[in-house]
Amino acid sequence: MSHKMQTNKLEKHYWIWPIAWYLFLGGLGGGMLFTIGIIEMVFHAGYLLALGVLVAVACLGIGSMLLIFELGQPKVFLRVFLSATAIIKWGACLLILAMGFGFVYFLFYLPPSWNLFWYSWTWLRDLCAVCMALFGLCVVVYTGVLLSTMKAKPFWNTPALPVLFVASALSTATAALSLLAGFWPSADAIIALFAEQADAETVVSSYLPLLTHEIVAILHQYDTMLVVAEFIILLLYVLTMRASGNVTAKAVALEWISGGKALLFWVGMVACGLVIPFLLYQTGGTGAEYVAPVLVLAAGLLLRFLVVYSDRRRAMPGEERFYSRLPQGDERFLQGWKPPY
Amino acid sequence: MSETVDIHAPDVEVKKSCCYFCHQNCGVLAYVRDGKVLKIEGDPTHPTNQGGLCCRGNIALLHLDHPARINHPLKRAGKKGENKWEKVSWDTAIAEIANKLNQIKEESGAEAVATAGGTLRTDDWARRRFMNLFGSPNGFHNALLCWIPTFMVETAVSGWSPFETDLGTSRCVILWGFNPGASAMPGMRGYSDLRKAGLKLIVVDPRYSETAAHADLWLPLRPGSDTALALAMIWVIIYEGHYDQEFVENWCVGFEELQEHIFDYTPEWASEHTWLDPELIREAARMYAKNTPGNIQWGCTADQLGKTSGAGMHARAILRALTGNLDRPGGDLMPGPSHYYVTDEELEANDWLPEEQKARQIGSDHFKLTSWPGYQRIADVSREVWGKAPTAEWMCEAHGPSVFKAILTGDPYQIRAMIVSATNPVNSYGDAKMVLAALKQLEFLVVCEYWMTPAALYADYVMPIAGALERPIVHNNYGVTDSLITSQRAIQPLYERHTDYNFWRDLALASGQDPDQWPWETLEEAFYYVIYSFIENGYQFGSYDEFVEKYRMFYPPLHYYKYGTNGFATPSRRVELKSSVLEELGYPALPTWIGPAENEIDDPEVAKEYPLVLTTGGGFMPYHHSEQFNISSVRFLYPEPYFTINPQKAQELGIKSGDWCWIETRRGRIRQRANVEPSVDARVIYCQRGWWYPERQESLDEEPFGCLESNVNVLTSVDNEHCDPIGGSWANRGLLCKVYKVSYWDDTDTDFSIPGSAAEPGISVPPSKQPLAYEPIPYDPQPGFEVPEGLTWDPNTKLAWNLESGLAYDPESGWLYHPETLVYYDLVTGYAYDPENETLVDEATGQRYNMETREPLESEGAHTADGVVSDVAPGATGEKGE
Amino acid sequence: MTRYAMVLDKRRCIGCQSCTVACRTWNELPMDIIYNPVVTEGVLGEFPYVHQTFTPLLCMHCDNPPCTICCPCKASQQDDDGIVWVEATKCMGCKVCVNSCPYGARDVNGAEGFVRKCTFCKDRVRENEQPYCVATCHQKARTFGDLDDPESDVSKLVNSLVTERIFVELGTDPQVYYIPDLGGAK
Repeated sequence: MSHKMQTNKLEKHYWIWPIAWYLFLGGLGGGMLFTIGIIEMVFHAGYLLALGVLVAVACLGIGSMLLIFELGQPKVFLRVFLSATAIIKWGACLLILAMGFGFVYFLFYLPPSWNLFWYSWTWLRDLCAVCMALFGLCVVVYTGVLLSTMKAKPFWNTPALPVLFVASALSTATAALSLLAGFWPSADAIIALFAEQADAETVVSSYLPLLTHEIVAILHQYDTMLVVAEFIILLLYVLTMRASGNVTAKAVALEWISGGKALLFWVGMVACGLVIPFLLYQTGGTGAEYVAPVLVLAAGLLLRFLVVYSDRRRAMPGEERFYSRLPQGDERFLQGWKPPY
Repeated sequence: MSETVDIHAPDVEVKKSCCYFCHQNCGVLAYVRDGKVLKIEGDPTHPTNQGGLCCRGNIALLHLDHPARINHPLKRAGKKGENKWEKVSWDTAIAEIANKLNQIKEESGAEAVATAGGTLRTDDWARRRFMNLFGSPNGFHNALLCWIPTFMVETAVSGWSPFETDLGTSRCVILWGFNPGASAMPGMRGYSDLRKAGLKLIVVDPRYSETAAHADLWLPLRPGSDTALALAMIWVIIYEGHYDQEFVENWCVGFEELQEHIFDYTPEWASEHTWLDPELIREAARMYAKNTPGNIQWGCTADQLGKTSGAGMHARAILRALTGNLDRPGGDLMPGPSHYYVTDEELEANDWLPEEQKARQIGSDHFKLTSWPGYQRIADVSREVWGKAPTAEWMCEAHGPSVFKAILTGDPYQIRAMIVSATNPVNSYGDAKMVLAALKQLEFLVVCEYWMTPAALYADYVMPIAGALERPIVHNNYGVTDSLITSQRAIQPLYERHTDYNFWRDLALASGQDPDQWPWETLEEAFYYVIYSFIENGYQFGSYDEFVEKYRMFYPPLHYYKYGTNGFATPSRRVELKSSVLEELGYPALPTWIGPAENEIDDPEVAKEYPLVLTTGGGFMPYHHSEQFNISSVRFLYPEPYFTINPQKAQELGIKSGDWCWIETRRGRIRQRANVEPSVDARVIYCQRGWWYPERQESLDEEPFGCLESNVNVLTSVDNEHCDPIGGSWANRGLLCKVYKVSYWDDTDTDFSIPGSAAEPGISVPPSKQPLAYEPIPYDPQPGFEVPEGLTWDPNTKLAWNLESGLAYDPESGWLYHPETLVYYDLVTGYAYDPENETLVDEATGQRYNMETREPLESEGAHTADGVVSDVAPGATGEKGE
Repeated sequence: MTRYAMVLDKRRCIGCQSCTVACRTWNELPMDIIYNPVVTEGVLGEFPYVHQTFTPLLCMHCDNPPCTICCPCKASQQDDDGIVWVEATKCMGCKVCVNSCPYGARDVNGAEGFVRKCTFCKDRVRENEQPYCVATCHQKARTFGDLDDPESDVSKLVNSLVTERIFVELGTDPQVYYIPDLGGAK
């Protein structure tokens, strides 16, 4: 505990960067599982995005690890499942379920040459696709609900926050998938599909880019809509908070609009994270293929950071004055006293 | 926490200790196991605090074994101020100190050794006893800023200071410059309770204090103008006829003179000085005078106004008397010294100080009431009436600032050694820069302390002192009341700490004082001696500790109207509205307006440069004087100093809340942060006192521990012309200042001003030659009657004497009388008067004479002549003499 | 049944912070943890017509505490007598309760990472003593007792005086009541 004491309890951030990452990765992973599940169900084209499933499960896993890492007493972690009501408990369960179904789903896309016995159980694959889509979406929603139930935090405590997080999570997930489409083990899957044909290699080399291009185009279109939706929700969110009757929520919104977070919000979030990707998606080419998704992902992370650090508690009258007069936390008299000789 | 410590376990002892962080001495229960205090809490059965403890009281355990406490005697190893120390044993340190003091005494006289104290936080009678037996009159405290001049003026006027308010049945209390809401928490509880029950509360305070918030009437006067307010209140009470006519006629002298004297001090006149609406002054005076019984509660302000202090005290004493509130139920009680136990004064051995040493007391030539000349006069009268005298420690001391000046200048003589005990003089005495310079320059300095303070840093020896929980305490209000509350120590002092008593006793024995003078080895033994006589009153105890455990306190029955039997303890046995004691000492006999130390009316030139009025010295939670700044848990709540400025003025000066600003007077400047609040007038600045930064243990250069940076005493004045000539109080309040923002490249102001005048720092005139606020008024009373031929007028006794026979003249009856036997004698013949037989008797021969004709009578009554005693003036019998 | 509650008389509180310090020493709290700050907006008004009130804050021991429902470990809990407390050994330190308490009553014990809060001095109350902040208050501004007992001091005060509670609109049903101070100097 050598770091500077945080003495202003109104401004103290009890949840810091691991939670922001956790919310981002949870949204990303959950969103990817949801999207892949949908694509599997609608287009039966999950094989093109199989790597995405693995990445999504990894995101959820890493996110969970970060959450545990952030705990004050991680050794007590397993008690998390004791409660019936706690949102965190539900989050943990959903994460496990989503990861589990995602993992099982992925098992169907291991190289066909390994010839594993479950390859023929397509009903299981489809069930997993449905389940991981469902639980993935739940995880996405959960990341928003977790914050929005905090009565003490006016900027979080609104049903619009899960909506915003869902939009952002799906957008980032789509962007991530558009980057991951067509990679291993997609080629193996196509070879398996066209196994009867003699020159499977040729087929792969001609069909895979085509299919990949197809799915990426769909994803880009899809993401464009999500970016637009997120843009609208975000502006509505912040501007509604700005006009809110709650002084704290208003103060935080002002911080986003014209205060300390304005640069990150307008330039980072709105311009680079939403407007530019939207334009790039329209123009196509490398910009749409690589730059836009990366920007969308970065903006998703930035949004989580902006939100997590907007955790100002609503002050009771006089609290602000009280905390403003406490030490900054690094004063010499707080660092212990030496004997006088 | 007690979740970890079971304070109810059978092996845990409960000790009835008390708090030692201010002089309320609230009761504390200490839970002790194996010599270790586990927990403390307020004692719910203690009459003062009833279980309550304030910030200070609650940190006792953090204080007890704080890592920065001084636990062993330290001997200076490097140069002064270098902070290099050698640990030595207690006995070695004591022996070496004793040797040095004896050497100085031999070379320069005992008076070259002085001691400085703080505020009732040591075993003061023991210090006095040591000094008296050693032969030095130069002990002093911050007494002159804290009640002592008030006590002496009020005792001069009405025979004792009525500081015990009988609040239960009181109807109106004036809290005059007193903020119990920050400095006397138990008292504040009482006021809150009583106000709910209908008590009228008038608060006189320039600042909207915690207490003012609870007042019925708040008088936000110009700091330092209290005297004008008091005078105008007298005016209202007299000229509107609200005074207690019966009491004034029967028990006061000098009313007619007062009435005449006060004539110009109208509320309209006072309004100019106090900035108060005359109607508000009238309302306050009426509220106070009409709601009797009532009280005026003393506040420190009274003693911190500098040259205007004495007149204000006198005026308040008069207010109490005019309203007949003295010693009546619900009024200002005058308990007098205790007859039930040994008072502090009786422990002080004042008789052992030779007269010629008394005369050498520094400051006693200027500030007479609170030093030997005034004390002697008051003590003599007090002994006649009360049978005992007030405590001399406190009431009769050297003038502190003059002692510091003497260290620097050698005027009136060189002070070579000082023992500083329970005070941090740089922060608590006026003109901090001067005090610091004096401490640096002093030849031999011993400091008895808990902490390494700026003073201790320059010491030759630092002695570790037992603090709260480590010492037994008898609480008896400076030894001038008749009740007491006792407390025991929870544990023996840790490490090599000792109580102050043991320091003085050990030093006394080591310096060769008679062990018979110090018969008590421990404080408990001494206190057992103090309370021993309770045993005669039916108390049963075999030791001091047993008394504490069984009884804890002693409250004699309340007696009202004590003056009915012996009169008031003044020379005339009446309340002397026109004070003969003050008059004899060369001070105005009636309260006479004199402005505060610096003010815009008398010093317009100064006011041009320094347009704001500064008030300092007020207590604020959680600190007590300069203490607790090193208790992190407390400091956490109040890390930095704040001064208060009105929002309007702040805006004018471009100061925002929290800005660091300089506050500057003619003597220097300090920095504090701005607390922008409408709690003061736009012309007033309220500055916090006491600030130093004990955590700055590395920067020990010219301003160790940042002891000047935010120290309000850099701003205060101890110039002779600013001190109250009567009591010697120096000026903490009502000074002129200016305020401006600290800029980036500013340094702390460590330019030392050596005492001189505020206008021209530096010594060009020796202190003894510097002017006073006003020169003494020569005391040469003229007879108010025609002195018959052959008799001699004596201005001291104010009587005409027949020097041959030693008889005094009674101008009312025209007879002579013997001052002791009160037998009356005929002015012409010198024959005694026999009221039984209505005859004159020649005491030498026994021959009787006719009253009218002075013809000899038959010799039959000759034998009864010896027994003739008369305390009835012949005139009173209707048979007038000549 | 017993339902502990506290009534704070703002007419009596003078902002001395004795309770703040007392709580820190009695409960041996780390430096930056304050269970019961006494706050004020300062002196308000225009000189000399001004006023000031002090509000001692502490855990409200709500009847509907948001901090216990959200605890995944059942460490943050409420006893039958209404006292809300955290069992340090069961707390995993997720801080969700800290973020959910609108009164800022909870904090993380820096070194160990568990969450701690005011317990109404459970240890003292169960020994039939007053919470320490109540015992130590010189001004007797605090009254503690059983709201279910109609003869208790808290019941009498709550029932016979106008009292206020903080953030009632959040549905927490706080059980710390404030007697407002309506007057300053006249």
